[in-house]
Amino acid sequence: MIARLKAALFAVVMRVYPPAFRHRFGDEMRVAFTHRPSWSELASMFVAGIGERRDLLVADIRHTVRMGVRSPLHTTLAVLALGLGIGANTAIFTVVNAVLLRPLPYRGANDLVMLWNDDTNSNKPGNPISPADFADFQRGSRAVVALEGCFSFVTSNQLTIGGQTEMVYTEAVTPGLFPLLGRNAALGDTLAGDVNGTRVVLSDGFWRRRFGGDASVIGRTIQVDSGSFVIAGVMPPDFVFPYRGMLGPTGFATTQAVDLWTPLTMQNALFRDRSGQLVRNVHFLSAIGRLAPGVSVDRADAAFASIAGDLERRYPDSNRGWKTHVTPLHTQVVGDVRPALLLLAASVALILLIACVNVANLVLARSVARRREFATRAALGATRRRLMAQALTESGLLGLAGSLVGVLCAWWGVKALVAFAPDNLPRLAEVHPDSAVLFISIAAGLIAGVFVGAAPAVVAGRADLRASLQDGGRGASGSTRHVSAALVVAEIALALVLAVGAGLLLRSFGKLLDVNPGFRVDHLLTMEMNIPQRLTTPDARRAFYATFFERVAGLPGVVSVGGTTRIPLGSTSVSTTLDVEGRAVPVSQRSAAEFRRALFDYFATMGIPVVRGRAFAVTDGPTAPPVAVINETLARTVFPGEDAVGKHVRFGPGSTGPWTTIVGVIGDIRHRRLDAPPEGEVYVSGVQNPPVAPFIAIRTAGDPAEVAESVRAAARQLDPTMTVYDLRTMADMRSDSIAEQRFILVLIAAFGVLALTLAAVGVYGVMSLAVAQRTQELGIRLALGAGPSQLVRMIVRDALNLAAVGVVVGTIAALALSPLVANQLYGVRPIDPLTFLVMPLLLVAAAVAAALLPARRAMRIDPVQAMTPQ
Amino acid sequence: MDRFRPDAFLPLTPVAFDILLALADGERHGYSILQEVESHSGAPLHAGTLYRALARLLEHRLIDEIDAPADAETDDARRRYYRLTDRGIAVARAEMQRLEAQLAAARSRRLLRARA
Repeated sequence: MIARLKAALFAVVMRVYPPAFRHRFGDEMRVAFTHRPSWSELASMFVAGIGERRDLLVADIRHTVRMGVRSPLHTTLAVLALGLGIGANTAIFTVVNAVLLRPLPYRGANDLVMLWNDDTNSNKPGNPISPADFADFQRGSRAVVALEGCFSFVTSNQLTIGGQTEMVYTEAVTPGLFPLLGRNAALGDTLAGDVNGTRVVLSDGFWRRRFGGDASVIGRTIQVDSGSFVIAGVMPPDFVFPYRGMLGPTGFATTQAVDLWTPLTMQNALFRDRSGQLVRNVHFLSAIGRLAPGVSVDRADAAFASIAGDLERRYPDSNRGWKTHVTPLHTQVVGDVRPALLLLAASVALILLIACVNVANLVLARSVARRREFATRAALGATRRRLMAQALTESGLLGLAGSLVGVLCAWWGVKALVAFAPDNLPRLAEVHPDSAVLFISIAAGLIAGVFVGAAPAVVAGRADLRASLQDGGRGASGSTRHVSAALVVAEIALALVLAVGAGLLLRSFGKLLDVNPGFRVDHLLTMEMNIPQRLTTPDARRAFYATFFERVAGLPGVVSVGGTTRIPLGSTSVSTTLDVEGRAVPVSQRSAAEFRRALFDYFATMGIPVVRGRAFAVTDGPTAPPVAVINETLARTVFPGEDAVGKHVRFGPGSTGPWTTIVGVIGDIRHRRLDAPPEGEVYVSGVQNPPVAPFIAIRTAGDPAEVAESVRAAARQLDPTMTVYDLRTMADMRSDSIAEQRFILVLIAAFGVLALTLAAVGVYGVMSLAVAQRTQELGIRLALGAGPSQLVRMIVRDALNLAAVGVVVGTIAALALSPLVANQLYGVRPIDPLTFLVMPLLLVAAAVAAALLPARRAMRIDPVQAMTPQ
Repeated sequence: MDRFRPDAFLPLTPVAFDILLALADGERHGYSILQEVESHSGAPLHAGTLYRALARLLEHRLIDEIDAPADAETDDARRRYYRLTDRGIAVARAEMQRLEAQLAAARSRRLLRARA
C-alpha cells in the first residue's frame, strides 16, 4: 500500500522536473528509487526538481538579458511603451480605487444613505429637507436606525479668539451626526450629546494651522459670529465632512475643507417661524441616515415615500408635490465623477492594449529575425515547449521591466494627477500612491508580458528547422507577416477609438468655452465681505454700504462696483416662491425662482443687460415702494405673453405684507455652471433689504488683480473689524467652474496623443521590417529599372492599406462606443461628423508619415549588395 | 571553439568532485556512482542531487555517456554508463591541485598538524 503510494508520489515528483531532464534521467532515477524507496529520497528529489526548474529559468533570463543588451534600442522602446501603459493604468487605478472603490471614512459606510426632497411642482429633484419635515422623518421611519442632519451649505463665519478675528468655514451638524458616522474625536469629544448647542469641534487641519496642534485648546471658549462655544475636541486628520455631493445640487461651495463643526439643534433660530413653530416650507437640511439591519436602499426609499405621502395629506399647503428619494451616501459623494473616472480608466486600458500590441509586434519582428537561433536550438534538441517557454520568459521579463518603469511613472503620475486635478473633485485628498501601486504594476506587467509573448511563442513553437536554416534567417513566413499586419491594424483601430474620444471632448470643451454666461467675464474682480457686526440695524447697514461703494467706485482703476448675495459661478443658490397678485394658486404650486439681492450698480458692473423696464435706481430707497427685477426666463415662464414690468409679486410661502413691483427684466445668466441652462431669477433691492455678507463685483479698467489690494485697503480703512476675503477674478471663477472638464480633456487628449504615437511607431516598425525582409526583392526591382520614387510609393501604399483597414475597423468601434461618452459631452453629439472626419484622416496621415522613413531606406538600397547572398 | 580552461570550473561542488573521483577507475552507471560516492565519503547522497550534478557535468562535457559495456548484460537495459572525458580529467586534476594548495596552506598555519 505504502509502496504504491510512494510510486505514485515518485511520478508526481518527476513532473516537477523540466521535461528534458525528465526524459533524460527519469528512468535511471526510477531505478535508483526502487533500490532505496525512502521518504527522504522523495523529498530530496522534489527539492532537486525545483532547483532544476529555477536553474533553467535563470538560464533563460540570462539569455534574454544578453539578447536585450545586444539590441538596446529595441529593448528600450519596448520597455518604455509597456512602462508608460502600465504606469498610466496604475496611476488611474489608484485614483479610481481611492475615489470610487474605497469606502468613505465612516464606520459601516456602506449602510449610510441620504434622504432628499423632490419638488415635483417645479420639477426640481434633490432638494434639502425642511426642519419640520426632518423632525417627522426622524420620528417616523424604522427603515433607518438614525437620521441626522446638517446645513446644506458650508458657511463662512467670523471667529473671534482673544479679540482677534478671522474667517473660518463652518458646518452646522446635528450632534448625533458623529455617532451616526461612527467617528470619534482624535482629541477630546465630538458634539455627541450636546443638546444645548454650546460646543464646537475643530478639524485637524484648522487645529494645527491655528493652534499649532496645542492639546490644551480643549475646553477653551471661542466666539463664532456672536455666539460663545467651548472647544470640545479635534477630529482625526482623515475625517472629512461634508463632501460636496452631500450638500445637494444647490450646495455648491468654494471650499470643501471645514475648519469647525458647530451644533445644530432644534432650538436653532432658523428652525422656527415667528410663532415658534418648526418651519415646514424652507428647505436647508441635508439628511443622512443609517439603514436598519436588513433594510435595503429600496425599502428605505419606499418607507420614506410613505411618510412623505402622509405629510402631503396633512400639510397640503406646504408639502403637496414634495416627494422623497434615498441615495447611498457613497453614490451621493462620488456619483458625479464616476462616469469621468471610468472613461479615464477605459482610456488607459486602451493605451496599455495598444502598447502591448506594439511590443508584441516588435518582439514578433525580432523573433522572425531570430528564427535561425530558434531553429538551431531546436536542432540541438530543445523541445517546442522549451522554445515557447523561452519566448514567454523573454516577454515576461519585458513585462516586468515595464512594471518597474510603470511603478515610477505611476508614483509620479499619481502625485501629478492630485496636484493637477481640480479641487472640487471629491475625495482627492484621499488619493496617495501606496503599495497597491506596486502590486497593480507588477500584475499588469505580467499580464502584458504573456499577452505580448503569445504570438512570438507560437512562432517559436512552429520554428521550421530546414526552412529557417536555409534562408539565412532573413525572411519571414507569410503567416508571420499577416499576424504582424493584423496587429498594426488593431493598433490603428484602437488608437482611433481613443482619438475620437479625445476629439469629442475637445469639441465639447470648445463649446463650453463659447458659452455666453450672460455677463462680461473680463475685467471683473469679485470678493466676499462680512460687514462689521456692530451694524445690527438695516439703516446702519445702508449707511455703511453707501460709504463703502462710493469709496470703492472712486478708487483709481475702478470703472464701476456693485454687490449681490449670490455671485454667478461662485456661490450657492437659494430659491423662493412667487405669489403673483391676482392669481389664486395654492402655495405648493407657486412658481419657484432663484432669489438674490442686488446692491449699488450691480447689473451694469456685471454687464447684465436690462432688456425691459429699468434696473434699480437711487429713488428705490428704504421708504419707496418695494421693487424687484426678474430675468427673461422667469418673465417667460411666469408671465407668458404678458409684460412682466409693472406686475406685483410677493415672495416665500408665508407671504403677507406689501406687494413688490417688478420694474425691469434683465438678461439670463448662467449661475451654477456654464453647461446648465439659466434658471428663473428674481432680484430685490439691496438698499431696501440690506444683506450682511454680500459678494462684491468690481469692473476694472486694467488688470482686475491689480485693484485687489487697494480695495482691501479701503475696506480696512473704513472699518478694521470688517473682513474681506476670497478675492478672485471672474475669469478665474469661470476657469475653475470648468476645471473638471478641462482635467478630463487634458488627460484624454494626452492619452490620445500617446496612442497616436504608439500607432505610428507600430506602422514604422512593421514597414521597416518589411523593407528589411524584402531588401533582395526591392534590389531586384531597382536593378530591373524601377525608380526610387516607385519604391517609395509602393511602401507608402502598403502603409496606407494597413491604415485604411485600421481606420475602418476603428471607426466602426468608435461609432459603437461613442454613446458611452455622451454624459461627458456638452453641445456635441456623440456621433459628431467633424470629429469622425478629422480623426481618421489624422491617423492615416500619421501612418503615412511613419512609413516614409523606411521608404527612404528602401530608396537607398544598393541593388548589387542586396542581391549578394550572405 | 573557445579555449578550454579547467580553472573556469573551480571550485567544483563536492558532489561533482565525488562523481569525477568515482569515475576515475572506469565507467559506471548512475546507481553505481551513487553507491561508490556514499561508500567513499560516508555521507548519504540522494538521487535527485546526483542526477542534477550529472546533468551539469554532461552539459559541460566533463563526462560523457557510452553504450553499456559488454560485461553489463545482467544489468538493467535502461541503464546508461558514464565515463570521464579528457576535459573531466583535466578539471579533476585542477581541483586536486587546488585542494592540495589549500591543505598546504592550512598546515603551514598550523591549523592541521603535518603528518610525519
